[in-house]
Amino acid sequence: MRKHWLIGGLAGVFALAGVAFVQGGSSGGGEGAVGQVEFGQPIAFPHDQHAGSEPGQNNMDCQFCHFSAERSVDAGIPSVATCWGCHIAIPGTEHPEEVAKIQGYVERDEPIPWVRIYKIADHAHFPHMRHLNAGLECQQCHGEIQEMQVLSKPDEWWTPAKELFLGQDPVWGGDNMGWCVECHRRPDENGEQQASTDCAVCHY
Amino acid sequence: MTDGIKRRDFLKVLGVTGAGATITGCSEPERLLPYVVAPEEITPGVATWYTTVCDGCSAQCGMWVRTREGRAVKVEGNPNHPVSQGGLCSKGHATLQHLYNPDRFHGPMIREGDRLRQGTWDEAEQLLAASIGASANLMFIGGRMGPSMSNLVDQFVASVNGTRVEYDAVSDAPLREAARLAYGAAGLPRYDIAEARLLLSFSNDFIETGSSPVAHNKGLARMNAVDAAGSKGRFVYLGPRLSTTGLNADEWIPIRPGSEAAVALGMASVIASDASAAGPYADVLRAYTPASAAQAAGVSEDAIRELAERFASESPTLAMGPGVSGHHRHATAANVAIMILNEVAGNVGRTVHYDAGVTAAASAYADMESAVGAMAAGQVGVAIVHGANPAYSMPEASGFVEAFSQAAFKVSFASAMDETAALADLILPDRHFFEAWGDSMPRQGVMALQQPVMQPVPHFDSKQAGDVLLATSAHMGNDLGAETFYDFMRNGHMEMHDASMGDFETAWHQALRDGAVEHDMAMADSAPQLQSPDAALSFDAPALDLGGDLTLLVHPSPRFGGGEFANSPWLQELPDPVSKITWHSWLEMNGNTAEQRGIRVGDIVTVTSPHGSVDVPVWIYPGIREDAVALAMGGGHTNFGRWADGSGVNALALLPSESEQPSGAMVTLATTVTVTPTGERRRLATIEGSSDQHDRPIAPAVALADLGHAEEGEHDDGHGELQELQGVGGFVPVPAEGGAATAFPLEGSRHGPYAESHELPRWAMAIDLDKCTGCSACVTACQAENNVPWVGEEQVMMGRDMNWVRIERYLEHVDATQAGELDVRMLPMICQHCANAPCEPVCPVFATYHTPEGVNAQIYNRCVGTRYCANNCPYKVRVFNWYRYMDENVPEPMNWQWNPDVTIRTNGVMEKCSFCMQRIREVENRAALEEGRPINDGEIVPACEQSCPAEAIVFGNIRDENSRVSQVVSGERTYRVLDEILNTQPAVHYLKKVTFHEIESGGHE
Repeated sequence: MRKHWLIGGLAGVFALAGVAFVQGGSSGGGEGAVGQVEFGQPIAFPHDQHAGSEPGQNNMDCQFCHFSAERSVDAGIPSVATCWGCHIAIPGTEHPEEVAKIQGYVERDEPIPWVRIYKIADHAHFPHMRHLNAGLECQQCHGEIQEMQVLSKPDEWWTPAKELFLGQDPVWGGDNMGWCVECHRRPDENGEQQASTDCAVCHY
Repeated sequence: MTDGIKRRDFLKVLGVTGAGATITGCSEPERLLPYVVAPEEITPGVATWYTTVCDGCSAQCGMWVRTREGRAVKVEGNPNHPVSQGGLCSKGHATLQHLYNPDRFHGPMIREGDRLRQGTWDEAEQLLAASIGASANLMFIGGRMGPSMSNLVDQFVASVNGTRVEYDAVSDAPLREAARLAYGAAGLPRYDIAEARLLLSFSNDFIETGSSPVAHNKGLARMNAVDAAGSKGRFVYLGPRLSTTGLNADEWIPIRPGSEAAVALGMASVIASDASAAGPYADVLRAYTPASAAQAAGVSEDAIRELAERFASESPTLAMGPGVSGHHRHATAANVAIMILNEVAGNVGRTVHYDAGVTAAASAYADMESAVGAMAAGQVGVAIVHGANPAYSMPEASGFVEAFSQAAFKVSFASAMDETAALADLILPDRHFFEAWGDSMPRQGVMALQQPVMQPVPHFDSKQAGDVLLATSAHMGNDLGAETFYDFMRNGHMEMHDASMGDFETAWHQALRDGAVEHDMAMADSAPQLQSPDAALSFDAPALDLGGDLTLLVHPSPRFGGGEFANSPWLQELPDPVSKITWHSWLEMNGNTAEQRGIRVGDIVTVTSPHGSVDVPVWIYPGIREDAVALAMGGGHTNFGRWADGSGVNALALLPSESEQPSGAMVTLATTVTVTPTGERRRLATIEGSSDQHDRPIAPAVALADLGHAEEGEHDDGHGELQELQGVGGFVPVPAEGGAATAFPLEGSRHGPYAESHELPRWAMAIDLDKCTGCSACVTACQAENNVPWVGEEQVMMGRDMNWVRIERYLEHVDATQAGELDVRMLPMICQHCANAPCEPVCPVFATYHTPEGVNAQIYNRCVGTRYCANNCPYKVRVFNWYRYMDENVPEPMNWQWNPDVTIRTNGVMEKCSFCMQRIREVENRAALEEGRPINDGEIVPACEQSCPAEAIVFGNIRDENSRVSQVVSGERTYRVLDEILNTQPAVHYLKKVTFHEIESGGHE
């Protein structure tokens, strides 16, 4: 019994610390809305135009560009040549000036310096291929990318709160390990745990 | 590697996905840089492997290089290589640090007055061509190189009417000359150590230096193994000092330095009933008896007679003559004497082969002496140095530095600054062998290709020396038949290609993939015969320069070789296998000698020879004769890079510049010295706690005679000591479920608490201490694989060294005063992954815990650095990051070597062996992708096991009773360190060393 009391007390302390942390983060970051990245991408790449299935959109498979997701720990970022492979013939209708930038990179023989949106901490190892081969969809972690015109940094701190108070199923938990573990713990049809929650499965 | 990737493209790999360093701070977001054109063979996150040849030393072992996103991150031994057969030494691993050495030149350097300025390659090659054209008499001083490069250098030198001098700082010239004199052989002899039942080494440190340390190490381990008939090979070391090789001997006969010939011939005289068995050496043999040998060696006659009788009866046997540490003034004769011993014992054609033509570094120092003479006399216009650093590796007395300065134009191909390049007018930085083409011929009939494994490191504008020579020739209007060295080499191989072996292209690709091609050699039908020597040989004891009362033994360092590896922080921090000292130099001295002079460990003494003097701290070592002191080569660099400079002393400062006749080798055993205390002391940067087990069964042994005779319950497991402790009230056990409080082992505890209840594997390791030679290859392999930082000399002195593997070396019985049994125990100590781990319950944050697979895991992001776990670990295998060593000690581009699959630890975090968790996960991932197939036994190979030349380490699932590890630990030699006393139930099992002498109860003498 004493133990429960202790855990309750600790939880309270952590909750307070959490509030202080969030406040510190939002006041000191110099960013606008929490989590918004003030840096734009070098090219205004519309994921919806490429991967969306609405009329006029191209319904491309994610792995056409993120080519190694099924066989590597890394999903892979398309090479400039991959972009240019199509866009050499497709100048774009709404924003040809953005498409033209690709040609610039090709001609200058430079990589496109994409801003990284999704990142988990260096001390955690996330093998993409294991998750895809287990039958997960990209969207289950990354959200409905095919509907997004602009990818912005997801609200990481908001994730546990969404779960707790709104009962929503959050996509992208960022550094919140509870988000990973919640899925690993979920029982499969036989009632068995789906994936290991051993620390050393991801941390080594 | 394809030619399709440009240097610029390679740069772009840097930030790609996951592996890239995190850019933190709120000013700039992290970027993901894709390839412009993705190279076909690279999948981000998946390693690409290349086969190549290690160019670290003349052994030329087969090598596999693991690259990630175009960067070499780890090297491993290639088990398909016909000579090295897998495994790699510490130096081989450290060649990666030469590749990313931040002290490499950023481009060709051209002297302008006192300083060097960076120029372009075109400018440099024009300058070289013009200089050669302007002055006559080119001299090309070159170290060891592959056959194609050697061929090119010959053609280049011939095209400008120059001369070529071969120079190896550490050379086997006396052995080669002896083989030529005695048998007319073309190369070094090849040894079949594994086949020998009695092996004698006369000051031959074959697992550290020589023609193939890795292969010889493997041979020794195989010889040591107990065979099905219950017998094993015996190893006797004859020499004044126990090297790493010597520490593995079963017996030590501490003969006087330079008495090898007398001992070998004295033994041969016992074996050969008729001296005519020695053919042309019959007269020599008649002059020797065991008594004269005993007189010369300072050991008992009985010891020599008895050894000789065994050497004849326990056939096949093998004797190996003095290597570099025994290059005295009669070193060739000593090697001939050992060949006579092998001849009369009937070993030729069985354990020693003279028709194999082993090519190793064996150039004559005498050639360098004449080169120095020619330069000093102003007869050399252009002096080119390639693959050598004579300004450091020749004794000061040679006058090389002054003579080199006399050359009108001095050129160096050094890729990083060294003492010779510092004197040069033009530096043409050569590529590292991971960036270049080459070939090697470790022995007749074996041709191995060296291919680039990555694009050149972009920080350094380097160019392969072969390409520079070809371009320079073109500037001078000479056509050497190819535009690039690659073409030159490939054309050469195409010409040599035997059409009966099929299409050249197929053979070429096959050779690139396998790493080496072995051709059937027409071996001589009859055994080679001893021939009359065509040069005068003296088998008498060599003369020593009189400088004092102690003989100076100078030997190549197991870490630095002749000094060419000194700028690797891995090797600087690698504890010397003998002394356990890191970084600096030390003088080895016998305890009795030190006591007589009032010298203690750490006293700084001045060692003075007639040729120079050095100040060095003393380390007291029972494995050296009382009338000798020893100093390793490789220290005391003055201009070799940030980690080498100022660390230790150069032993060559004490030596004369003199060559042995008739081989022309540099003498290393040449002088006596005085040792005078300076009155100063220093703390040694040692990691050794104690060389004594203090009656704890850490590394027990079992006598060969007792193997197979252990009866149930007779085994003394030390558990009695626990009960004694309990008896005096020091420890009161809690009654445990399933057994009495004092029962051991507890029921169901054999494989850990989880093992009986689920289907997951239980990872475990077996380490055979009968095979382990203490060479320390695993230490460096682990450091490379697991991003283990180096901490520096100061931090080591504070006990903050961070290696995950520690080779414990216990000197059980070492007596330098007489011939007798030697008992030294080597034990690689890593995290034992205890099922009942003392570290786990004391962690307040559950950062260390036991995984269901039986691994004691350390979760870095959970660790808050209380260090309770390290305090509670009885094995002392946990190491703590006191500083941000990985940030502060690792300059760009050295950090390119980091393994992207392993977390970089920061300060305040505890770490230790993880059983190479990343390799377990990699194999699991691969198996899962292949329809969830089961993992095969032997598929997961930790870095230490992969690297072990002695094949002493086996890793696997111990729950599977058919796995290799289960099989290995099922024998009676198996024990677990301190388990019986502490009930820790480790997953690491050791197999006791097997000795020929009786072992007292508890495994101690």
